[in-house]
Amino acid sequence: MQKTRMGMTPGLIAIVGFLTVCPVVMLILGSFSEGLNAFGTFTLSKYVKAYTDPAFAEILVNTAIFTIGSAIVSTVLALFLAYLNTRTNIPFKFMFRIISLIPMMVPHILFAVSWVLLLNPSNGMINLFLRQVFGWEGAALSIYTLQGMILVEGLLDLPIAYLVIAPAMSAFDVSLEESSKVCGASNLRTLMRVTLPVLRPAILAAATLVIVRSLASFAVPSVIGMPGRIYVLATHIYRVVATGYVTDYGMAAAVGMSALAASITLIFLYRHLTREGEKYVTISSRGYRPSVIDLKGARYPLFGIVALLSFVLIILPVLVLFYTSVVPYSMVPSAKAFAMMGWKHWIAVLKDPVSLLSLKNSLYLGVGGATLGMILSFFVAYVIVKVRTKASGFLESLSFLSFSFPGIVVGIGFMWFFVQTPLYATIWALLIGYIATYLPYGIRPLTSAFVQIHSNLEESSRVCGGGPLYTMRRIVIPLLVPGIVSGWILMATMFVRELSLSVVLSRPGTEVLAVQILRFAEDGLWGRLSALGIIMIFISTTLVVIASRIGAKLTKVDK
Amino acid sequence: MEISIKGLNKNYYSEGKTIAALDQVDLIIPANRIFTLLGPSGCGKTTLLRCIVGLEMPDSGEIAIGGEVVFSTEKGIYVPPDRRGLGMVFQTYAIWPHMNVFDNVAYPLQTRNEPKDDIRRKVEKTLHFVQLDGFEKRPATKLSGGQQQRVALARALVAEPKVILFDEPLSNLDAKLREETRKELRAFLTELKITAVYVTHDRIEALSLSDTVAVMKSGRIVEMGTPREIYFDSDRRFVADFIGRANFIEGRVATVGEGETTVDSAIGAIACEKKINASPGAAVTVCIRPEFIRVLKADHNVGRNIFRGKVESLVFVGDAYEGEIRVGETLLIFRIEPTTAVREGEEIALHFDPRHCSILLN
Repeated sequence: MQKTRMGMTPGLIAIVGFLTVCPVVMLILGSFSEGLNAFGTFTLSKYVKAYTDPAFAEILVNTAIFTIGSAIVSTVLALFLAYLNTRTNIPFKFMFRIISLIPMMVPHILFAVSWVLLLNPSNGMINLFLRQVFGWEGAALSIYTLQGMILVEGLLDLPIAYLVIAPAMSAFDVSLEESSKVCGASNLRTLMRVTLPVLRPAILAAATLVIVRSLASFAVPSVIGMPGRIYVLATHIYRVVATGYVTDYGMAAAVGMSALAASITLIFLYRHLTREGEKYVTISSRGYRPSVIDLKGARYPLFGIVALLSFVLIILPVLVLFYTSVVPYSMVPSAKAFAMMGWKHWIAVLKDPVSLLSLKNSLYLGVGGATLGMILSFFVAYVIVKVRTKASGFLESLSFLSFSFPGIVVGIGFMWFFVQTPLYATIWALLIGYIATYLPYGIRPLTSAFVQIHSNLEESSRVCGGGPLYTMRRIVIPLLVPGIVSGWILMATMFVRELSLSVVLSRPGTEVLAVQILRFAEDGLWGRLSALGIIMIFISTTLVVIASRIGAKLTKVDK
Repeated sequence: MEISIKGLNKNYYSEGKTIAALDQVDLIIPANRIFTLLGPSGCGKTTLLRCIVGLEMPDSGEIAIGGEVVFSTEKGIYVPPDRRGLGMVFQTYAIWPHMNVFDNVAYPLQTRNEPKDDIRRKVEKTLHFVQLDGFEKRPATKLSGGQQQRVALARALVAEPKVILFDEPLSNLDAKLREETRKELRAFLTELKITAVYVTHDRIEALSLSDTVAVMKSGRIVEMGTPREIYFDSDRRFVADFIGRANFIEGRVATVGEGETTVDSAIGAIACEKKINASPGAAVTVCIRPEFIRVLKADHNVGRNIFRGKVESLVFVGDAYEGEIRVGETLLIFRIEPTTAVREGEEIALHFDPRHCSILLN
């Protein structure tokens, strides 16, 4: 047993090392090469070309405004929600759990598209409505602006910020607040002078994480930014490799280097801040219960805001997409619109061979990729938690490295690699890329599941007369099932909707759902897009439901 | 069943250093008694317990349970824990969170593939014994700390093991519950007439639960005896100090008489009735526990073991006064009736009961 464990660690380091380091190394080498066909011929020209481009300064400014703006929007909203949930008597608290789970329900690209359908200047539903009812001329509101991008990205990243801030808020030592009140400060004053300053590391950590995510975001910049000619780093890279007459992977790699460097720096900052936060936040001893602030008359108005947010985040996009998929062209909901409803777009999508192929590919990548990803994660998590050596510590840092990499940059790096191999333009290229990029999402739930299995639980079974295999079957595996299932669901839903990596690696024949939706958006085929989008949401939801059913059957975890 | 341990050694290696968790331990644990391993953390008591149960592999030595050798480096025997037929209660209880109370308790029987009806009957009987009737269907995680503890006990008992082992089972309970559970546990174990090995660092637990206490230090058994022997007649300062609060007064043996030894010390001559194998002139330490110091009126000066001192501090702790008395340069701790009229700063006389002055060899 001891020996197999020893042998496992180097093997895993090799696999995980390949997955995370390979795209980075290839990206670096690629950025110094002439081109995909001339890999290895050293040149600095790509850097010169990339960074002397007069438009590049504007792209950097856009990126900074976009990422910081999104971070402010989502952090402020997350603070508001976390405070209401953990510290006040607001009704229907289950809503907060739903808000924190939405990233699994509506894919980012569809969320962005639904806002385009509502607010695009030519035929956005709200604009049409304003024109018809108030007789406003032209486009009253346009989503194709930096503000529009910030709003949509901020809403999309809200759950991430919430998941960072809410635990810090609930672990907050209430006696700090109580002593402030004893000193005569009001609730508001206490909030501003004590609560928020103590939570500062958590708030900054949340904001940093959102900046990393929005830097890597491709859905919003492509669907909302590109029609408005607003380019950020991610879409700039995309433009260099996917549009125009000449694709230049060398220049894309050179630009990607700065995005990668920024992400890595920010992740280090994030880690530093979370450690800082742990120092700050004091968890009181037993019997601790956070005191709840009575909102009195403000309870329902504040709840109204939360309900509105949930509606905008979850229900509105699905409604808009479904509506668009059944009306022949953009129109405000009306009797006329209802009379003209039909399944035209659905039939078109279901007859479109490329859409069907993308459906098949995404399903295959979702189910197969998540399964392979979880097998790898299982062994990595096992080594990280149960084999505590220097090598396993190295494996741990290695496996979380890719967490910070923007998908499109990893995609460019892998492109340089796959072109040299027969994997190029196959579905295997996508599979490897997906697993490399999303491995941390599989490892994390499994490590926490492994950590929870205290060694006494196994030992106790041995003393009770259970042999090693019996113990594995009746104790270890049943206790791991929740971790395996939640990891699988997370990976599968992320693979089904994957966009930023696929946009680079997907080739004719290996189209996937999100890429196909992007194509429809670029062509303005909103009806078909919406039909395919609803199918995509349906698939994600079905995967979640099936996986949790299987999980519930395999284990009888009574809560 | 008797457990006999011969020459057991176990070393840990950490950062290049070798730590002896067990150092040549020889021990006979008597059958059908409650035997306690007591010692500070890191003394090797838990390691010894885990070696007995088979979760830890000693470096060398032999362990036999009821005549059957379960571990021996010489004979190359290692019986894995699942074949030793023991019961164990872990410090964390190790209640399986994915099973209800019934499955947790039934587990040892299920591993033996016993018929379902037998299992049901035995589980019911055991749950009744630990006063958890009707808890079968409860999820194990929905129980209170004390109830989980009893489930763990039921699980350890259900298969009627030869020996039951406890690894600090009360340390996760709060003070009041710990006291109640301790009494219950004593009642259960006395009724069962089973060999129990109990590991703890809590002296009150050790004294109140055990038939025999073995005190451990740095991987060795320092002293073994009944709770009374350990408390009143320990031979070593470490044991006397660990088992309760005590005053230690350095001195030399002056005279050795019939049933009484006199020791010259900094505070004067102390008469001790305890037997001791020391000749006059030997350097010794007199140990007197705070509750055996009597406080008398200042003018009281008749009799042996009377000293004069000044009350330096006095604290009312509810059931007693605790404080310090200065006798010459020596500071003694004492504990007296809460109704005694003594004030801080008062000059008083104090008396040591010669029957409770024990002499420790240096």
